[in-house]
Amino acid sequence: MLDLAPHLLAGLEISTLPQQLVTGLLIGTIYALVALGYTMVYGVLKLINFAHGEVFMLGAYAALLISWSLGYTPGNSLEHGSWMALILMLIGAMIVCALIGMIIERLAYRPMRNQARIASLITAIGVSLFLQYGGQIFLLNGTPQNIDPKVSPFYSSDPTVGNIQLTIKGPNKELLAKADQMSSLVDKAKTDYEAELKLEGGDEFNLQPKGKELRDLYRKEQRDLESAKNDANKGAILVNLPKGQVFMLGSVLIIMVGLTWLVMFTRQGRAMRAVSLDFDSASLMGINVNAVVTFTFALGSSLAGAGAMMAATFQSGTKIDTFFGVLPGVKAFVAAVLGGIGNIPGAVLGGILMGLAENLVVWAGYGGYKDAIAFVILIAILLFKPGGLLGSAKVEKV
Amino acid sequence: MNLLKLDKATIKFGGLIAVNEVSFEINKGDLFGLIGPNGAGKTTCFNLITGVYKPTSGQISFDGRDITGTPANKIANLGIARTFQNIRLFKSMSVLENVVTAGYLRHKTSMASAFFYLPSAIKENEQLKEEAMKLLEVVDLAHVADVRSCDLAYGMQRRLEIARAMATQPQLLLLDEPAAGMNPQEKEELNAMVKKIRDHHNMTVLLIEHDMRFVMSLCEKIFVLDHGEEICFGPPEKVRNDPKVIAAYLGEAV
Amino acid sequence: MKFLATRVLSILAAIGFSFLVQKLAEGQDSFTQQLLVLASLYVTLSVSLNLINGITGQFSIGHAAFYQVGAYAAAYCGTAFYPNWHGSPVVWLLLMLVVGGIVAAIAGFIVGLPSLRLKGDYLAVVTMGFGEIVRIVVQNQKVLGESGGLSVHPHLQQIWVVVLLAILCIALCRNLQITAHGLPFLAVREDEVASAAMGVNVTKTKVIAFVLGSGFAGAAGAAYALQLGAINPDLFRMDQSFIILTMVVLGGTGSVTGSVLAALLLFYIPEKMRDLSDVRLSVLVSILISVGFAVAAVRYVINNVHKPIKVRAAYYAGITAVTAVVITILGKILQLVPAFQTSVEGGKLRLVVFAGVLIVLMLIRPEGIFAHHEFSWDWLLSPLKKKRTKLPGVSA
Ligand SMILES: Nc1ncnc2c1ncn2[C@@H]1O[C@H](COP(=O)(O)OP(=O)(O)OP(=O)(O)O)[C@@H](O)[C@H]1O
Ligand SMILES: [Mg+2]
Repeated sequence: MLDLAPHLLAGLEISTLPQQLVTGLLIGTIYALVALGYTMVYGVLKLINFAHGEVFMLGAYAALLISWSLGYTPGNSLEHGSWMALILMLIGAMIVCALIGMIIERLAYRPMRNQARIASLITAIGVSLFLQYGGQIFLLNGTPQNIDPKVSPFYSSDPTVGNIQLTIKGPNKELLAKADQMSSLVDKAKTDYEAELKLEGGDEFNLQPKGKELRDLYRKEQRDLESAKNDANKGAILVNLPKGQVFMLGSVLIIMVGLTWLVMFTRQGRAMRAVSLDFDSASLMGINVNAVVTFTFALGSSLAGAGAMMAATFQSGTKIDTFFGVLPGVKAFVAAVLGGIGNIPGAVLGGILMGLAENLVVWAGYGGYKDAIAFVILIAILLFKPGGLLGSAKVEKV
Repeated sequence: MNLLKLDKATIKFGGLIAVNEVSFEINKGDLFGLIGPNGAGKTTCFNLITGVYKPTSGQISFDGRDITGTPANKIANLGIARTFQNIRLFKSMSVLENVVTAGYLRHKTSMASAFFYLPSAIKENEQLKEEAMKLLEVVDLAHVADVRSCDLAYGMQRRLEIARAMATQPQLLLLDEPAAGMNPQEKEELNAMVKKIRDHHNMTVLLIEHDMRFVMSLCEKIFVLDHGEEICFGPPEKVRNDPKVIAAYLGEAV
Repeated sequence: MKFLATRVLSILAAIGFSFLVQKLAEGQDSFTQQLLVLASLYVTLSVSLNLINGITGQFSIGHAAFYQVGAYAAAYCGTAFYPNWHGSPVVWLLLMLVVGGIVAAIAGFIVGLPSLRLKGDYLAVVTMGFGEIVRIVVQNQKVLGESGGLSVHPHLQQIWVVVLLAILCIALCRNLQITAHGLPFLAVREDEVASAAMGVNVTKTKVIAFVLGSGFAGAAGAAYALQLGAINPDLFRMDQSFIILTMVVLGGTGSVTGSVLAALLLFYIPEKMRDLSDVRLSVLVSILISVGFAVAAVRYVINNVHKPIKVRAAYYAGITAVTAVVITILGKILQLVPAFQTSVEGGKLRLVVFAGVLIVLMLIRPEGIFAHHEFSWDWLLSPLKKKRTKLPGVSA
């Protein structure tokens, strides 16, 4: 009764798999950035910060507004952008998000700190809805906008230029040569047909027999060329890496290394880890917990800002509206739980797995289920490992 | 015949052997003491007996029936009830409700009768409340029956734990440090109370306690644990003078 | 005998009340009728979620899934079997409530099972995930109309049915709570280890809570489908679950009356906002700022002023008055700023106000309107009585 398997085994295209995996990895790194924010806040406060997705959304708006202030408003006629523009947008989004995160914590979460966990959770949901719908009033009237891709220095109007192309297995050379020969035939048929068309008055739908004949020939040649090309490319495995996304991957790696250093080797990081192990004892040991919590929110939110800037700039066709953070937020949250919430490497692992899984599902032909797969994996894993992949389930001492 | 029997019960937590091949038997009507220094594995023994943990190896039987690995609620059904060292009352419920909850075992009416508020459920409800009140009188808490349990003073909470355990009508009652945090006078009263429970309510009592005077004056048999292993077993006089026990408590080599 | 008399009387009263509502509604416009239906459904949903979350303490945030399962069960049965149905449509409606309830209860059983292994936030994510999975799977099923949804046969507006369903749900939960059978549920919420040691079958208790709670949500879903005449997956998004959850927490987790009240409140405010005309941005901003300060002031009074309730009530009244004045004045001042002179569609404010009310209420009364209490006249009047009854023998 359920149409769960319309495509099952009916032609999984191996040659597109590597591309999908790479795309998945790239998306996964963004999930990972956002998941880090969830996991760090959870670590210190044991609070699911449902408004984190909205911080992400506001980060995207920050990047958008910065790009506008640099002149990349809708319909501008500027040339392509510069590294400076990208970096300004990235840092700007991170700072804005850090501030927003701190404000949310101070106004909405700190007063709830000694209350039942579910009460702070509801407050978080309230903040999230407030930002989503309040944003519709204050943020460009809620009209979806996109960041002009020209702001990136790697931009080119031809989508095939400016990509790094990795060839895992090239096309069949002989067949390719044959196809090349055919393309001259096609050109000839085309000119013939067009000349005849002109002669007959230019009405495509009202051709003389000769025109029809030439048109059919032209179409046949075209079809032949297509199938020849297909034959040549059958078995070829190519991976396209837009340079912008390489930039993105690089930035994510740098941010993660920085974060690891911060958490593992600095005073502030040590304080954070102490607070996450035991909130009360840490405060008794003279750690300023409020400062640590504020810092954690600032840090986590700035990562969301970075993720948002990249998602909005380098994923072509991304529209930003006030609900922009909902899906990434939910998925990143699931990623954090998947890795073991409160666990920093876990969040990264969870995020990347999530990105990969999603794209595998699309590759397998179940695109409609893309947004469900996150949860399916999550439930499956939690049933066997209730603490998440890298987390350990706490055993209650009796 | 013995009521409870541990046969080489062992449990490991990772590398730590919290209880190592511990064997003892408790007879009906015993007042049995379990002592040992901090971290000796006493509470863990209780957890094994009541099904909170499953032993790594060994066997536990109750009333002639093997209960190794039986779920906690089934063990309670069979007639073992306990109190907790770190008090685990149902905090936001009233004192009376705490005790009535433990009487749940003896519900005869079905849940459906409660949904439709049938006379049988109402009647049973009243009955359970009455029984609970009687138990509260035994532990001298009847006057606070409607107070939220987390608002009680510490000593009262311990007594409520006992009343709650008794409400399951167990044959064997396990008390984990019932006198902890009580002043001498309260301990005195508790001593009398435990004796009364054993004599008038026909319950066998196994208790953990650090206060030596309390244990020695109350228990007829005492089992001493150290580092998860038995170091001594016998009547108070024997235990009191055992060099191993003295060493374990004073931290000397024998 | 007395029992039988009161019982029969109360059942008659419930049915009578439902029909009274129906009669009263018939004179009204269809919007009001729709409002009544939805309000009753939300009451059912929040009271049933309260059984899982509030009373049993299981952190479920995917209640809309069961609502959806019930709705689709009814819609599917309507398409498949109603054409061959020869009985009265009302009987069909009642039958669908049962079917929706049972199918959703089975779903609840399936979700309840993992709840045995998972706690707290992990359970929360799983329930949320289940909600999303259900919605997305439905979206991809041809027989269920994919994202376009299904039209439901028969389309029946029977207000009394939903009112009666809400009453039934409230009555069952209340009955459970006032007999000893309800205590194990509370015990599981308070302490699982201790409940098990007292003989409570924790597994069974949790599963029963899930099955019952989702069963009622399913029945509500079926009623919804038939009242609405057409359903689609978008009606059951995650925010739907959040709204139901909010009703429970806002009313006071564990309090049935609280859930009812919060459901009505949270439902009524946004619906009322629909007919709001345009609002000036200056007014909005001044409300935002003043309410912020008012909340801070109220919190200050709650935490730092330990005076009799009458004095505190006077403080609150004062704060309210000052806030009202400030809003007016600030609004006038801000009106001078050009950026604030635009106006905002009232309809856009619906969910903003919803979210705002939610945050404010949580900040000033995090335990919920009713906390753990149930409504009773004694409770309502207790602050007015001069002396609190002192707890005998309890030291501070
Ligand atoms: N769930 C658990 N996981 C890991 N170790 C545990 C667990 N429960 C108990 N232990 C360890 O087992 C040992 C015995 O603990 P137990 O609580 O039984 O001691 P005890 O004799 O009751 O001590 P006390 O007198 O302090 O109550 C301790 O080292 C404790 O840390
Ligand atoms: Mg102990």
